[in-house]
Amino acid sequence: MELLFAQIINGLALGSIYGLLILGFTLLLLVAGIFHFAYPHMVVFAIYIAWLTLNATAGNVALASLAAIGGSLGMAIAIEPIFRPLTKRAALIVSMVVSLGISVVFTDIMSRVLHRGVPIGFPLYFTGKAPIITVGLAVISRGQLLTVVGSIITVVIFLYLLYRTSTGRSLRAIAQNSFVAQLVGIPVVRTSRLSYLIAGLVGGLTAVFIAMFLGCSYGTLGDMLALKVICVALFAGMGNLVGGLICALILGVVETFVIGYLPGDWSNAIAFAMVMVVILWKPDGLFGSRV
Amino acid sequence: MAKNNVLKVEDISVSYGPVEALRHISLEVNEGEIVALIGANGAGKSTLLGAVLGINRVLSGTILFMGKDITQTPTDKIVASGICLIPEGRGILSLMTVLENLQLGAYHLKANINEYLERVYRRFPVLGERSKQVAGTLSGGEQQMLSIGRGLMSAPRLMMMDEPSLGLSPVLVSVLFKTIVALNKEGYTILLSEQNARKALECAHRGYVFETGNLVLFGDARELASNPRVRQSYLGGAAE
Repeated sequence: MELLFAQIINGLALGSIYGLLILGFTLLLLVAGIFHFAYPHMVVFAIYIAWLTLNATAGNVALASLAAIGGSLGMAIAIEPIFRPLTKRAALIVSMVVSLGISVVFTDIMSRVLHRGVPIGFPLYFTGKAPIITVGLAVISRGQLLTVVGSIITVVIFLYLLYRTSTGRSLRAIAQNSFVAQLVGIPVVRTSRLSYLIAGLVGGLTAVFIAMFLGCSYGTLGDMLALKVICVALFAGMGNLVGGLICALILGVVETFVIGYLPGDWSNAIAFAMVMVVILWKPDGLFGSRV
Repeated sequence: MAKNNVLKVEDISVSYGPVEALRHISLEVNEGEIVALIGANGAGKSTLLGAVLGINRVLSGTILFMGKDITQTPTDKIVASGICLIPEGRGILSLMTVLENLQLGAYHLKANINEYLERVYRRFPVLGERSKQVAGTLSGGEQQMLSIGRGLMSAPRLMMMDEPSLGLSPVLVSVLFKTIVALNKEGYTILLSEQNARKALECAHRGYVFETGNLVLFGDARELASNPRVRQSYLGGAAE
């Protein structure tokens, strides 16, 4: 029973990381009109930035976290010009191919150059792996708790921005119909650039949470997370933000149970098997596509 | 009476790639007028409205709004300066609420949106009743009201309407044209693109007739309505 409880917490922490990734990915998909496969890769790269900063500053956690967020923002700003012409032409598939290319570059750098391709580990004072709540055999660490709470706060702020402010209203208008957004006088190009900034900011926070939760990173982590993000997106319905958040949590919990109770790591196979079943049954995903 | 020019289009041409959609068009809209653009599908009426709003790029010629050259001005600046377009098919953001659609109409207004909102609700009470409802659940006629209401929210000095009667029942078409006349009586200047030539010329002061990208006729709406060529092509042939 206690173990089950711990598994659920663990699953929710994993799911909330998927949820944060879905947030940035979906925002870019709907507002900027790009299929940013490499978004998780850039988040993982930000983890490396945090790690490098941590080593360079002799263990300054705050500075390392800020560096991850800053680096993530910087990457988001840097890639915007690459996608700008594709956004104008509404070339979603081309943007996906370009982003695949970017992801290959990131994966290569992370699995060959950085730390000579050896997986990196974060020290305990960063991850907070030490148990803070112990119930029998079950252990909840500070890192897990921070990940869940931090993700919830991030999601709430994000949704508030999107649904309760006039800027958010403009972003949603562009997402729904950029022609009408233009008609009512929204500077569409300038406003949609904002989606990169928000995705970059959320990505940086995600990087910090992943570092705390997993305590490590490796070259192909970006690929793994990118597949999961697409999996969740298809499962929920492409471009469905709230549906994506729910499905991210579901996938996180299911995956943790699979790892916890089945021998061997079947989590990827089962995740995609779930997608296939859902798509056969509901081609638009569980909550309907919004693209 | 000195005519007060709101919109003055001078000799503009617009093309989509190799296709010339508009050739050397000149027209003007004066303050307090309803001006109707008449013509078949693909004659270039919508293209002209898009060009005025800066959505379609103009190859040559100039567009003046309130005496200011807006030919190369970006769309958001043009809208902010006081032109709104009520697009063909209404352009409702169907996943957003009625209120949010109206708020978006006032995107560039910095203050006091409530006053405009009240005015729209007074004109279209059904929008007030359904302000929290998702716009996609409105009926066709209500969506048309919302589209016009959203235009009014921008405090326009020129309202452009693209095929507003499309897809409405005959009863609703009559209601729509009554609304257009009422808006005009309150001082709104209206440029109307309409395939329903009879109705459009009934309510308009002046009209322009388009054929495949060319301006073929223009003048007083009443005179146009009795012009044999217009009767033949757009008013269903024989006289009543």
